[in-house]
Amino acid sequence: MEKMKLKLLYSDLRPELEIIEKELEQAVDSSSHLLNDASLHLLQAGGKRIRPVFVLLAGKFGNYNIDVMKQVAVPLELIHMASLVHDDVIDDSEIRRGQPTVKAQWNNNVAMYTGDFILARALEHITEIDMPSIHHILSKTMIEVCRGEIIQIEDKYKLDQNLRSYLRRIKRKTALLISSSCELGALVSGTDEKTAAHLRRFGYFIGMSFQIIDDILDFTASDEELGKPAGSDFMNGNITLPVLCARKDPAIYAVLKANLKQDLSDDARVEIVEMIRNSPAVGEAKMMSERYLHKALKELSYLPKSAANRTMRNIAFFIGKRKF
Amino acid sequence: MNEQQIHSKIRLMESDVKNAVRQRTLETCTGGPSIERTRLFFLLLPLFTGKPWSGEIEASAKTVSIVYAALHAHDQVKEVATTKKQQLTVLAGDFYSGIYYQMLANLNNFTLIQRLATAITKVSEQKTSFYETVIRSEEEIERSVQIIESDLLTTFYRYYGYEEYAQLAEVSLQYVRYSEELAYWEAGVHTQLLKTLYHSLQPAASIETWLMEKLDQLEEEMLELVNHHLLPYDLKNYLLHKITPHQHRAEQLTREG
Repeated sequence: MEKMKLKLLYSDLRPELEIIEKELEQAVDSSSHLLNDASLHLLQAGGKRIRPVFVLLAGKFGNYNIDVMKQVAVPLELIHMASLVHDDVIDDSEIRRGQPTVKAQWNNNVAMYTGDFILARALEHITEIDMPSIHHILSKTMIEVCRGEIIQIEDKYKLDQNLRSYLRRIKRKTALLISSSCELGALVSGTDEKTAAHLRRFGYFIGMSFQIIDDILDFTASDEELGKPAGSDFMNGNITLPVLCARKDPAIYAVLKANLKQDLSDDARVEIVEMIRNSPAVGEAKMMSERYLHKALKELSYLPKSAANRTMRNIAFFIGKRKF
Repeated sequence: MNEQQIHSKIRLMESDVKNAVRQRTLETCTGGPSIERTRLFFLLLPLFTGKPWSGEIEASAKTVSIVYAALHAHDQVKEVATTKKQQLTVLAGDFYSGIYYQMLANLNNFTLIQRLATAITKVSEQKTSFYETVIRSEEEIERSVQIIESDLLTTFYRYYGYEEYAQLAEVSLQYVRYSEELAYWEAGVHTQLLKTLYHSLQPAASIETWLMEKLDQLEEEMLELVNHHLLPYDLKNYLLHKITPHQHRAEQLTREG
């Protein structure tokens, strides 16, 4: 339902997104039946396609040509997909978007090779573009995203980490790829540098807001809505903003500390989720998400008023209010 | 180049590659990248034989080595990957892939990025083929091994016009792989390749015999190719004794050659 609502916001892009969808299907086509099945399984599980949407919308601020835009939009979604397959191995996740993960449907090795295959396909596509700046930005982003994930593993089960560590982590983990989607969309469509910079910053702020909301929803949404058990982040030792806010209460801190361990029981998980849900932490985290949202909107205010600008604004509002 | 110089150059290259992908946490928890000297030898073979070489070519050779390290890291991921070391092994492969892309992007060599990416898709397809439920022929399995072991390297050769070494590299790298598989078999470790072979061989055939015969055949081919290329004595010696050390027969032929 929420995904439907989001898709309605960018319904103007439907014909272009259909092209992107077909290109994605072609991109993961393989002579290996197993790889084909695994890649299509992943593709058909759906997704918001938010990265291609931002590429296309950013392109509307320049000389928009779908044949050029898709050369960036498709690889960015592929890079995101590849990282999801590998993340599911890291998190030992059985379910994503209500569907069995590649690692659950097949095994870890198949998941690793599927991710490698999809990432390589992304690079095959993006290198059709002969613009050094595109490759410098994207390669740097890919490395930073990995660094973010490495830090996330280092910080696992560390309840006493500071807010700055969390923000730096989500910047690398999520915001950078959305920021790059906007920037690359702008650059490939030939916008001026100033416009590209505003779009890059918009993507960064919206990415931060998006991830904070994601982290809040991990506690506030239901298992059905999430397509996985609520509190999965905590269960996996990932300390997110709601936990960082909630730990200020000594009583909650003690409970969190005692339960921050591998093999957390399901009853304990439910108890933690309830405790965070009913604490002021959710409200505090929402406020921080809104601060980033306002910054994102501010960036849009510097750009020419247009349909694309309006759509970006509506997506930003939606992200701030989404339920799951 | 004498043996010592060849050895030093390989060691230097290994150290450069390790420095290029150095990341504190990955190094501490996963031991850093696996840089196989066999592959470094073949990447540097054109330099050793006096072919045109440049800083750009050497940087590209390093990136090929990084791609191998990335794919190798992902080969090490086990079915239960919940330990910190395993989780970081997953990320190590992705991190090294990012470095390979960045290094070639910095050289503005987008064509090589694309060709290596194509080679990675082929390697991934072949690695996945060992998990298919269909029974594959011996020839198909051999072809898979050849692609997995040498497609990235031969892509590099083709790009820089060193195709003449492709066959020697293909045969030698298969030789090394089957030697490792034989060692695994003898140690009672059943790799995915051994399992695939087990299902594909005729019921009466033994994996051990098949591997030994394959090694004999590859060794013959390798010696023929080494002699065909008229490699300098030190280089030939290095290849046969340090890179693909095997039976004493190889040693005899080297001296004769």
